[in-house]
Amino acid sequence: MTGRVIVITSGKGGVGKTTTNANIGTALARAGNKVVMIDTDLGLRNLDLLLGLENRIVYTIVDVVEERCKLKQALVKDKKNPNLCLLAAAQTRDKTAVTEEQLKDICDKLKKDFDYILVDCPAGIEQGFQNAVAGATEAIVVTTPEMSAVRDADRIIGLLEAKEEITSYKLLLNRVRPNLIKSNDMMSVEDVVEILSAELIGIIPEDTGIITSTNKGEPIVNDEKSLAGTAYRNVAQRIMGNEVPFLNLEEETSVLARVKKFFSNLVGKEK
Amino acid sequence: MSENIFTELYNRVLSLFGQSAPKEENAKDVACNRLRVVLMQDRTNLTPELLQRMRKELVELLSKYVEMDKEALELNFEQEGEQMALMLSIPVVRAKDEAEIEEALKAEDDDSEEAEDDTSEDDENIEEDEASEEQESEEEASQSDENAQEDECNDAADENDSDAEQDKE
Repeated sequence: MTGRVIVITSGKGGVGKTTTNANIGTALARAGNKVVMIDTDLGLRNLDLLLGLENRIVYTIVDVVEERCKLKQALVKDKKNPNLCLLAAAQTRDKTAVTEEQLKDICDKLKKDFDYILVDCPAGIEQGFQNAVAGATEAIVVTTPEMSAVRDADRIIGLLEAKEEITSYKLLLNRVRPNLIKSNDMMSVEDVVEILSAELIGIIPEDTGIITSTNKGEPIVNDEKSLAGTAYRNVAQRIMGNEVPFLNLEEETSVLARVKKFFSNLVGKEK
Repeated sequence: MSENIFTELYNRVLSLFGQSAPKEENAKDVACNRLRVVLMQDRTNLTPELLQRMRKELVELLSKYVEMDKEALELNFEQEGEQMALMLSIPVVRAKDEAEIEEALKAEDDDSEEAEDDTSEDDENIEEDEASEEQESEEEASQSDENAQEDECNDAADENDSDAEQDKE
């Protein structure tokens, strides 16, 4: 087995890297893949919280690197899905505790046992970013339709393009608000894609369900009814190479539109 | 008179529903435009002044050959894979005929003989050029850096040609 190593990065903080990581990882595992997530945000770890695994962590990536435990011992299994594992970051150390070579080595070892290795990258473009990217061959750049996030994404894309090991990168547009886009108050998906001229892998609508799911330590992809959950499940499908059309957010979120559609279907004519 | 009253009334009713009649540029377009400018600077290390200058020089250069809508000229750097492309999009108003082109080139040659910089006038032009968006472009040119250099060479060659013609006369 040779797994794919995908780094999830953004440049700017707070755009939803870790949420994306938790949800894509869970969705990939639900689809039957063996998945391991590596949190490389040393000193500011959060992936464990989003997965509800914070109480199960015994060893961290630093323990692996400093040989206090074996790699397999440090992998924490998900509560629900045995296909899903987490290699947690150390909370008490800083970004210098793990080097690029060490991370690359860990990724190479994990490739043998897992289909997907998702690397959660810290914000910024310093050493933490360089470390996270070191073992990866693919990247997902998370951004939101806000100016600062798009600008930082552009910077990250520039850095990724300079890396020979990264063979492909895709854009994931998070926290999209169809109502604001409709009223021309927010950049549209097309605007961001055009400005960054990058290939899109997912459009995730802003969803209050994300907050509750984070609070519960339960990724939103486990909620079948959630729109954001569906969007993340679609991203996982696209990563697996399946063609899935993008959700029509405008239609799905507007109650009025849904009612209209319902009636027009009753009458039997297309909208 | 009565028409004015009606339009005013109409506008008032509209504004009641939060739709003021004279529409300002919306937040989305402002964001897009600001971002494009900022990213162009981030990607190229060109300051806004240098970009304006480049823009102005391009307008000057190209107006010798075609009559174009100077206000609607769009200049963008786009990243396509590893290649950065300079996207120049200018609506062409009208093709110039040979006589006009010759005249423009002649005028330029005369200028270069006088060899005087008129920078003060240039600055005014820059301000005029600034506000120019949302026009349909009819011609789009994508040039990599290398091509741009080649073109410069070609221009130089063209100028030499016209010199030769003048000499004949």
